[in-house]
Amino acid sequence: MINVSIAGIGGQGSVLAARILAQAAENKGWQVRSAETIGMAQRGGDVMSHVRMGNEGEAVFSPLPSKGSVDVLIALEPGEAARSLPYLKEKGLLVVASSGIAPVNASFKRRMYEPMVLIEDMKAAGVKMVVVDDTELVRRLGEPKALNVMMLAYAIIAVNKRPDCVDNALRGAISLEDIEQAIPACVKRKLVSTNEKAIKVVQQVARI
Amino acid sequence: MTKSFLMGNQAFAHAALEAGVRVCAGYPGTPSSEVIETVAALRENGSAHDVYVEWSTNEKAALEMLAGASLSGARTLFTAKQVGLNVASDALMSLNYIGVEGGTVLLVADDPGPISSQTEQDTRRFASFAKVPVFDPATPEQGCAMIAAAYDLSERYHTPVIFRPTTRICHASTFMDVADETHAREPEGFEKDPSRWVIFPGRSYRAHGQINERLPQIAADFSNSPFNPWEEVAGTDEGAKIGIIAGGISYAYAQEALRQIETKVSEAGALSPSYRLMQVGTPYPFPEAAVKEFVSDLDKVLVLEELDHVIEDEMLKLCGKLHASYEVFGKLTGTTLDRGENSVDVIQQQIEAFFGLNLPEEKPRVVEFNEPIPERPATLCAGCPHRGAFYAVKKALGRKQQAVMCGDIGCYTLGNAEPLNAVDTCLDMGAGITMAQGFNVIEPDKKAIAFVGDSTFFASGMTGVANAVYNRHDITIVVLDNATTAMTGSQPHPGTGATLMGGFTAPISIEAVLSSLGVKKITKANPLFADKAIEAAREAIEYDGPSAVIYESPCTKLTRPKPPVYFIANACAGCRKCVTTIGCPALGWSELSHHVTIDRDMCVGCGLCTDICEYGAISCPTRKRVRPVLPPRSTRLHSEDGSLSRFPTPQELAAQEGGNDD
Repeated sequence: MINVSIAGIGGQGSVLAARILAQAAENKGWQVRSAETIGMAQRGGDVMSHVRMGNEGEAVFSPLPSKGSVDVLIALEPGEAARSLPYLKEKGLLVVASSGIAPVNASFKRRMYEPMVLIEDMKAAGVKMVVVDDTELVRRLGEPKALNVMMLAYAIIAVNKRPDCVDNALRGAISLEDIEQAIPACVKRKLVSTNEKAIKVVQQVARI
Repeated sequence: MTKSFLMGNQAFAHAALEAGVRVCAGYPGTPSSEVIETVAALRENGSAHDVYVEWSTNEKAALEMLAGASLSGARTLFTAKQVGLNVASDALMSLNYIGVEGGTVLLVADDPGPISSQTEQDTRRFASFAKVPVFDPATPEQGCAMIAAAYDLSERYHTPVIFRPTTRICHASTFMDVADETHAREPEGFEKDPSRWVIFPGRSYRAHGQINERLPQIAADFSNSPFNPWEEVAGTDEGAKIGIIAGGISYAYAQEALRQIETKVSEAGALSPSYRLMQVGTPYPFPEAAVKEFVSDLDKVLVLEELDHVIEDEMLKLCGKLHASYEVFGKLTGTTLDRGENSVDVIQQQIEAFFGLNLPEEKPRVVEFNEPIPERPATLCAGCPHRGAFYAVKKALGRKQQAVMCGDIGCYTLGNAEPLNAVDTCLDMGAGITMAQGFNVIEPDKKAIAFVGDSTFFASGMTGVANAVYNRHDITIVVLDNATTAMTGSQPHPGTGATLMGGFTAPISIEAVLSSLGVKKITKANPLFADKAIEAAREAIEYDGPSAVIYESPCTKLTRPKPPVYFIANACAGCRKCVTTIGCPALGWSELSHHVTIDRDMCVGCGLCTDICEYGAISCPTRKRVRPVLPPRSTRLHSEDGSLSRFPTPQELAAQEGGNDD
């Protein structure tokens, strides 16, 4: 069983990234279930998408993973990484975008939001993590909306290359090519090339 | 057949179409809205033939419309969220008495948590109250099979049938095979029979007997159905003495938890007991015969279910009936959660305790955060016209005028959050208008304001308006007309004229409705232009008697974003008025520069903030340019190291000027 979760803020596109990963798993013939947050939380609230894949031919019963069972947690924002951390396995990999999005109440409560503190705290606690310079990725692609796919690609590269991820269930199970092949079934035809380009940018930038 | 990645609700729409459904109707409500949307999309792309689909004015209208279609022999599908069935309950109670002709399935989605709902009511209870059979799926795939079975059952016994998924099933996705094309089953047409279709007391008495006769037959059918399976899993002891019985998604959670427990047990080399596991997929009428087999020889039963203790009650009832001696553990014994959602984690703990296992605890990872994890409550979107409406009404009331502001169901409930604080109450669909009248009766000196959205207005606001006019209640109705049903994902409604069958009907004018109901004072404004919006509110609020303000501006989800506003840094006095009065998520505050910051990716250029800023420090490209008011350069304040300088706040400026006078 491989569990991957994507955490973000409503509107960041965690649902699409989950959809692409699910398609890649389906192409391998595994049973897949995914779960999303829809409704009130989409209005700027915190959202999570989960993808559960039965990579050893086992049945997937629940669409939601249990705490401490996620192999790779992709966070599109540092605060959301911190919030979703209980889902991550002790030895799981966190892939987190470095730029923070201040909560709306920070402006009238006069509180500076310091996302780097959260990232440092997680590092200090020994969380296995990759901090992604998302601003750089978006700048190179020139399209902020593809960050979701870029973060997914980054996570796939990281888990397959990092020496400390040899025992991660996702390692060797899904490759970047699998992700590329899954994209056309998940996005509108005119967006396929943008997403393919997004993956190329990640390949150039990713330092693992 | 094509394999597609479908969300539960999309799959349920396919299943109903494959069952030959002819007429579908509902009212939007999370987590049910995607079912009707999927039917409409499949009809529009030409793969679903001969199906009629509509968003009805409200749930009651939907079910009654479907009752007519069903009596004509058509298979019908009703969709609503759990509280939506409250609105349609009058129709359902009687429909069960007169019975249906074409199969009638009510998809009513429950919302444990609750995640997006007013209540945690349990539709399984509603089913038993209404004496209507109910299916309760554990997965989207099982739900699809249940929908097919529900149509057959409905026609065999002429009973409406409830199908009750919960949020985590409605919004879970998986790959499923679906038919490429579907055809609605052609109905025979209505046959007159006053002895059946006219609900007089005599007819009701007879019908009640028929219902009481068929329910035990249905329970017997359910006992043989594949939706109430049970199995015995062998452990180290001989013959199971304990059992787990679960409903809905809790069954899937239990399967997942049991697999994890099995791994843990074998890793720890521990002993685990033999047990039985049963799913109750049809909680009403209760499949007694099947459960009787499951429970024979058991000493203890753990019940896993969300919302109410429905299965637990049935287990206790059965225990008495059988003179059995098994113990039942669940919500009533405090063994399981009395409310909210279950999860694999929670159920795993409950099962481990029930099994008497003492497995090594997994220590959760501990991270000490030196920065609070940001709270992200749902907020009105950047550029949302409701923000302007709330601001204008509060401004029109002023600081001295006391008022009660009644909210209603929709995005605009979010007006209760800081810094708008513009919603004092919220109860149920349409209640704002009528509750305001009660406040006005008790405290006539306070202004009673009722905010209502356009879709809510048509769904259940109009009777309240008639009541206000008829009984002369001095209230001000503020209609927030954003030309859509926004919260549930932008569905059309009678005020838009767009229908799911394509083409437009003439939109119903809210102004004309208010006026014909006898509201004498009606003002209108675009809420994003503060001055005119405030004036419109003031005029209506001052009017003695029922009055209305209609704020018209489309939802930001319907329009292309306009160029974002820009910020003129040397005009910003750092007074923070814009951030503290309207709370737009695109406006931030920098403690370093003492300036407002604008998120130009998020801003949609509505321009409301340019009306708030008194210094002209924010400028909107699509509005008339306001010349910024710059205080004299000499008043600038400098940081000690000289790295930053800024203009003083109005208070600081006043202090400086005051100082000069001395």
